[in-house]
Amino acid sequence: MTQPEKQLTEKESLDLIAKMINKAKDACHDTGISAMMWGSLIAICALVRLSELQFDYRLPFDIYLLTFVAVIPQIYFSIKAKKKRKVKTYDDAFMDSLWMGFGITIFLMIFITNALFNAMEGYKDPAGHTAVITMYEFISPLFLLLYGMPTFVTGVSMKFKPMIFGGILCWVCCLIAIYTPVKVDLLLTAFSAVFAWLIPGIIMEKDYRNAKLELAVANV
Amino acid sequence: MFKDLDPILHSQLRLAVMSLLISVKEAEFTFIREKTNSTAGNLSVQIQKLKDAGYIDVTKQFKDNYPLTVCKITKQGIKSFEVYVGNLQSYLGKV
Repeated sequence: MTQPEKQLTEKESLDLIAKMINKAKDACHDTGISAMMWGSLIAICALVRLSELQFDYRLPFDIYLLTFVAVIPQIYFSIKAKKKRKVKTYDDAFMDSLWMGFGITIFLMIFITNALFNAMEGYKDPAGHTAVITMYEFISPLFLLLYGMPTFVTGVSMKFKPMIFGGILCWVCCLIAIYTPVKVDLLLTAFSAVFAWLIPGIIMEKDYRNAKLELAVANV
Repeated sequence: MFKDLDPILHSQLRLAVMSLLISVKEAEFTFIREKTNSTAGNLSVQIQKLKDAGYIDVTKQFKDNYPLTVCKITKQGIKSFEVYVGNLQSYLGKV
């Protein structure tokens, strides 16, 4: 059943276009669950590794394996979000590709660094340190370098300052970590994960819940 | 006065639908209905007109055993929308 069409003036048409574009923008709020999960997980992994070095003990498994396990809840969150989503924006599509690309890059980086560690086993640098230990000093800066990129781009794309600052912080910590010992590198990694992902994630989740509440009130 | 304005777009509901779809990659029928405050019947008719004009693509899927209609603007739709907005602006002396 159709309703009679209202004749629009030029001004009304432009106002309607602006109103609908704003409505589409307002509909897009991301949950911060993934950012919170990855921020706390990376911080915990770095701090546990730091405690292993500080107190000279080893867990029966590599704590960083938890990052592979975390892929399972991440897939669950992504499927759940996709099911809930009534609209897909260009930003959503861009962000999905960006973070998927980041995940693949991190996986390859882990693979490359492990291969490098195996290849350098037994070598010593001019100072007499084993090459593996020397290389270990530069692992955190490499990962911090990578963490900064998608975080900064996401922040700029979403106009979300906590993530812009978080991305920049990762790069600053990357530079510092080049010149600091491994224990400090791990602290810097935990610090970066908290400020680049965990805190922005908490803010995003809060905004998402507020937006959901406002929508529920508006629909009453 | 409006002789240069595209008659397909120069209708309140169809213009509202196109303005929503120009801002997003794709949107479900229910989302469009909520945002345009329209009835399902009227919206279906207007969406069909936009589809017939080649301005939007409509795909029908199933989500949790319920039918799901997803709409997406086409390249032709984007071009027509841009021409329409350009014409509106020229009428208002903004260009």
